[in-house]
Amino acid sequence: MKVLVINAGSSSLKYQLYNMMDESVLASGRVERIGMDSSIVTHEPADKPEVKNVSEILEHTTAVRRVLDLLTDAKHGVISSINEIHAVGHRVVHGGETFKQSALVTNDVKVEIRKLFDLAPLHNPAHMMGILAVEENMPDIPQVVVFDTAFHQTMPQQSYLYAIPMVLYRRHKVRRYGFHGTSHAYVSDQAAKFLNKPLESLSMVSCHIGNGASCTAIKDGKSFDTSMGMTPLEGLMMGTRSGDLDPAVVPYVMNKEDLSVSEVNSMLNKHSGLQAISGLSSDMREITDAMNEGDKNAKLAFDMYTYRIRKYVGAYAAAMNGLDTIIFTAGVGENSVVLRKAVCEGLTFLGVELDEERNSERSKVTRRISTDSSRITVLVVPTNEELLIARDTYAIIRESSDYN
Amino acid sequence: MTVRKAGVIGIGTMGQGIAEMLAFKGLDVYLVDQCADKLAAGISQIELSLDKQIEKWALTQAEKKQVLNRLHPLERIEELAQCEFVIETVTEDLEAKKEIFEKLDRACGPEVILASNTSTLSLTELASVTARPERVIGMHFVYPVYKIDLVEIVRGLQTSDATFERTKQFIEVVTNKKGVMVFESPGFVTTRLICLFINEALHVLEEGVASVEDIDSAMRIGYSFQHGPFEMADRFGLDSVLAALERMFREYGELKYRPSIVLKKMVRAGHLGVKTGIGFFKYDKDGDRT
Repeated sequence: MKVLVINAGSSSLKYQLYNMMDESVLASGRVERIGMDSSIVTHEPADKPEVKNVSEILEHTTAVRRVLDLLTDAKHGVISSINEIHAVGHRVVHGGETFKQSALVTNDVKVEIRKLFDLAPLHNPAHMMGILAVEENMPDIPQVVVFDTAFHQTMPQQSYLYAIPMVLYRRHKVRRYGFHGTSHAYVSDQAAKFLNKPLESLSMVSCHIGNGASCTAIKDGKSFDTSMGMTPLEGLMMGTRSGDLDPAVVPYVMNKEDLSVSEVNSMLNKHSGLQAISGLSSDMREITDAMNEGDKNAKLAFDMYTYRIRKYVGAYAAAMNGLDTIIFTAGVGENSVVLRKAVCEGLTFLGVELDEERNSERSKVTRRISTDSSRITVLVVPTNEELLIARDTYAIIRESSDYN
Repeated sequence: MTVRKAGVIGIGTMGQGIAEMLAFKGLDVYLVDQCADKLAAGISQIELSLDKQIEKWALTQAEKKQVLNRLHPLERIEELAQCEFVIETVTEDLEAKKEIFEKLDRACGPEVILASNTSTLSLTELASVTARPERVIGMHFVYPVYKIDLVEIVRGLQTSDATFERTKQFIEVVTNKKGVMVFESPGFVTTRLICLFINEALHVLEEGVASVEDIDSAMRIGYSFQHGPFEMADRFGLDSVLAALERMFREYGELKYRPSIVLKKMVRAGHLGVKTGIGFFKYDKDGDRT
C-alpha cells in the first residue's frame, strides 16, 4: 500500500510517496512558484537522479497532475500507474476545536476546514486548494487530513484559556491551540520507544526549534501545555517572530509609531526575533557564526533565545510537577550543538547533566546527549512529520475500508 | 477566475499606489505611461514608498524585491492585451482618457476588463468610444491605496452584470478590499460626500465660527475621523478638491457644490497641501505635519 503525503502552500506544494509496507520513501519533491509562468518542479526519486523542470503551472490542480505524471513517468517515475496510490494524506495547519485527531476527508470535513479559514488565513485556504486539486486528479482515492493543532487538543482548560473575557472564547474561539503538533507527537513517541518505556509513564518537554519554535509539556503521553497560542506568534523567541511580550506593548507602539494593524502584525511576525536583536539574520547558524567572531548583538540574540527556551522548560517542569525527559528536535534543535549546550547548562538545578561528547556528535538518528547518571534524560530526536502523516493516513484508510 | 496579470496606465500618484498594491498581492503588473522617463520616475516613487513601509515594519527587504520584480514597464498600450484587467489612472482629462480607451478596446480581447480610476468623469461616455461598452467599468480606489480597503465599483449605463461580478470578485478576493457598487454619478459616493464635508468646513471657517485647528480637532476627535477636514484636504491636494467641487457644481448645478472662495485663493497661491509642503498646515518632505 502506497500513500502520497502532500503539504500544500499558497504557491508551493511538497510531496512524499511512501511505501507503507516498510515505511520507505519512494520519491519526494516539491513544486514552487505555483501561479507563475516559470514554476519549478523538483522531483527526487529514491534510487534515481533528481529531475528539475521549469514550466507554467497556474494552479494546484495542474501542480498535482504534474506530480502524478512524474511519479508514473517511464524514466523518472517510481510507480507504473496512479492506481498504485491508495490514499493521500494532507498536512493542515489549523484544525480548531473540531479536529482532535486526523480525519478522512468528507464533505462535512471540508466544510469544517473552510470554517477555520479565519483562524489560519495564510494556511488553511492553501491546504484546501491542495485537497480539491487531488480530488480533481484522483476522484476515487480517499484522502486524510492531519492537523498541526490536533495533538494539543488534549490540553486542559487551565492551559488553553486566556484570562480575558470568556465571551471572546465563546464568540470567536480565542484560546491557545498550539502548533507543530504532528512533530511533538512523533518525537515523544519515538523518545518513549528509544527509552523503552511506556509513553504514558514519562513527563517530557519537547523543544521543536526550527524556523518557528515551540515547547510542549507532555504528560501521560498527552499534550498538557504548549508555548504557541492562538497563532504561532506566542511563546519562544524565533527567527523573525517576537514570541511572548506584554500585550500592552502592541497598542502603545501602534500609537507612538502610528502603525496600522497589518503593520504591527508584520512587525511582530517578520521583523522581530533573532533578526531584530542581532540586526544580522534570522538563521541560527549565521547567529552562532557571528557570535563566535565576537559580534555582541549576535551574542545577545543567542542568549535571549536560549534563555527563553530554558524558562519554558523550567515552567513546564513545574507545571507537570516533575520532568524526566527533554527532547530537542527540528532544524536548529537537531543540529545546533551550542544551542543545546546553552539550554542544558542552565538546567543543572533540575538534574540535567549534559554529556559534551555525545552532544557534539552529529547523527541522523535518535540519541541520548545527557550522561548516564543524569536525573533527566536529554534526547535529540529527528522529527519526521511526513511519516506521521503517512502513518495516520494509512491507519485511517485501513479502519474505514475493507482494505487490508 | 484567477487574475495574474493586470495593466496600469498612467503612473501618477494613484497609478503608483494601485500598481504597488497589486504587485504586493502577487500579481504581475504591466505599466504604461507617456514616456520611459515618467515610467522610471513612477517606479522609483514606488520604491520610495516601499522603503517607507519597511521603516514601518510593514514589509521586509525580500518582499520589497519581490514587489519590484513584479512591475514590468511597457512601451505601448497594445502590449497590455496579455492582461486580465487594465486600469487606467491618467489625469482627469476626458479626451485623453477616451483616446486610451479607444486604443485599449482595439488591442484587448473581449474577455479583458477595462477599468478607469476616474472619480468624476462619466464611465458611460468613456465606454462610448469602445466597441464593447459592456466590459468597461470604474474602479475608484481611495488614497493611500495600500492602506484604504475600499473601492467604489462604478457601473456605467452599459456595464454588464458579468463585468461587475468579475470586478467585484477581483477586488474582494485578489486585493482583499471591500467593493461597493455605485451607479455612475458625478463624485460617486466617496468624493461627493467628502468634498461637501470639506467645503462646509471652509464655510464654517470663513464665517469665523472656529479656527482651522479647532474645526479639525472637533471632527477628528468628535467623530473618529483619522484627520479633520482641513488636513484631509491637504492630503488629497487642494487643487484636486477644487477640481472635484467645480465638476460637481457644473454637473448638478446646485449651490451646495460651489467651491469656497478660500479654497480657490489657496490653490491660486500654490498652497496645495502636503505635496507643496503647505496648505492649511505645514508638512515636511515625508508628509508629516510640522
